[in-house]
Amino acid sequence: MGVVHGQEMVLNIGPQHPATHGVLRLQVKTDGEVISEITPYLGYLHRCFEKHCENVSYEQVIPFTDRCDYLASMTMNFGYVVAMEQLMDIKVNDRVEYIRVIMAELQRIASHLLATGVFGLDLGAFTPFLHMLRDRERIIDLFEMTCGARLLYNYMWVGGLSHDLPKGFVEATLKFLDYFEPKIDEFENLLGHNKIFVERTADIGIMPAEVAINYGVTGPNLRASGVNWDLRKDNPYSVYSKLDFNVPIGKGIKGTVGDSWDRFYVRLQEIRESVKIVRQAIDQLPKDGDVHQSMPKKIRPPKGSIYSRTESPRGDLGYYIESDGSDTPYRLKMRSPAFTALGVLNEIAGGWLMSDVLAILGSLDIVLGEIDR
Amino acid sequence: MKRYFTDIYESVSSILGGMSITLVHLFKARNDNVTLQYPEEKWPRPERNIGFDHNSYNVIRSRLHVDMDDCIGCLKCERACPVDCIKIETEKAPARGEDLKEIKHKGVTSNGTRKALVVTRFDIDMSECCYCNLCTYPCPEECIFMTGGPNAKKHPIDYEFSEPDRSDLIYRFAKKGAKEGLAELNNSKQEAEA
Ligand code: SF4
Ligand code: SF4
Repeated sequence: MGVVHGQEMVLNIGPQHPATHGVLRLQVKTDGEVISEITPYLGYLHRCFEKHCENVSYEQVIPFTDRCDYLASMTMNFGYVVAMEQLMDIKVNDRVEYIRVIMAELQRIASHLLATGVFGLDLGAFTPFLHMLRDRERIIDLFEMTCGARLLYNYMWVGGLSHDLPKGFVEATLKFLDYFEPKIDEFENLLGHNKIFVERTADIGIMPAEVAINYGVTGPNLRASGVNWDLRKDNPYSVYSKLDFNVPIGKGIKGTVGDSWDRFYVRLQEIRESVKIVRQAIDQLPKDGDVHQSMPKKIRPPKGSIYSRTESPRGDLGYYIESDGSDTPYRLKMRSPAFTALGVLNEIAGGWLMSDVLAILGSLDIVLGEIDR
Repeated sequence: MKRYFTDIYESVSSILGGMSITLVHLFKARNDNVTLQYPEEKWPRPERNIGFDHNSYNVIRSRLHVDMDDCIGCLKCERACPVDCIKIETEKAPARGEDLKEIKHKGVTSNGTRKALVVTRFDIDMSECCYCNLCTYPCPEECIFMTGGPNAKKHPIDYEFSEPDRSDLIYRFAKKGAKEGLAELNNSKQEAEA
């Protein structure tokens, strides 16, 4: 007996659906439970940030970069200031660089905690999500101590930081890391090796390395496919070249290389590496150095353009800035890593069951604020 | 056959693993409590050191406050704001650096700057504000700050300022009746001259 094909049905998931991580509409063609095609529709969160940046001065762009990837604002700031400093040829002192790295890595931990926690939540595991959110809260407390804000920081400025670390920050961070390190193993046991979770994610949504590279997928999603590519190692910016850390890649421990479980596990391993980086950066943090030292009085870059990329928790975050010599950017373009991750969805999720599509979407860790900008 | 038994073993062990974590939390529930009965209980606010000593300064983000007695109306904060939610209007003062008792205008700021302008309108729309703090840095008199700033006793840090009406979130800092009072003053001066 051959396979019976039923009538194809078009189904909309979202835009108001908690599992779409923002406001995203997926139009799926289903044949019974099997998905044959997925078309993502974007634009529900479009706030014209790139256009708006053309009308504000270079300092005023930073709050807008915050709001693109609102789960990793520090790294969004970081990418922008690195691009601006290359454009204006500014060299900042080591204290600034180390503080930036500490903040970026803490942000990476916070972002990955949310990503893995929400991934579990998409599959119905509620407890790990609460545990991870609880610890993310402690990182956010550290950020609040530093710059007052809990989510949208506006902390890194072109040529420096808005202000120095507050008293007691280093001690509080070390205390947090001591508390946090055993918790990572707990998360791994609680969620990663849970039989139900493994059954739902291992061998599901396999992304082979060629597909990932062809679609321009970056970050943990690419590394989970077994490609060792991390801008912090391969194109070091800031002081990453002075720090010692590994780049975890997917090994297919529970199934095939590049499956959803690998994407989860790579993020968990990156949390461990980030803890290592923060510890080293705190050790090497220079005692003195003015964080306002190389800040230009008026930000007016020379005529020209720059494309610079940094590694955000979601991948390769690029900023293209075109300057016409005035004090507002002529054009500012962000290359969003989550956008390319969403692009590959149809390729890797076609042929899977309806319930797996949300698992695959969750494993890609997209943030719609960054996709739509 | 082997697969069947490993499946059973893994299922049971992962359930036991999860349950043992739950058990640990059950006994540490008192120390590990993260849920608070919100309006009655609140998280303690982090220790803050606020003031103008930049070495021990904790930045805060809260609602904005302006000390009008110190504001010289230089518009620097208005220009720094990326969302244009600060609106300032100024008028020339009759005499530089002199108090105008009628409209409660102070002529000299606490930094000793003599004011040439009277601020007749200083509105901040807090519902538009994105709490970026950019307006507080360029102020030459350090008179615009997030509450809890230099005078923390007078303006306690306050994160809960919801209002039933959106227009209540437009904070008007200019002295009441400054515009009309100033016009009256100028009129009476002209009449006296005539
Ligand atoms: S905090 Fe930012 S958005 Fe709010 S008034 Fe100041 S500059 Fe404008
Ligand atoms: S920058 Fe300060 S002094 Fe100038 S208008 Fe604003 S609040 Fe007043």
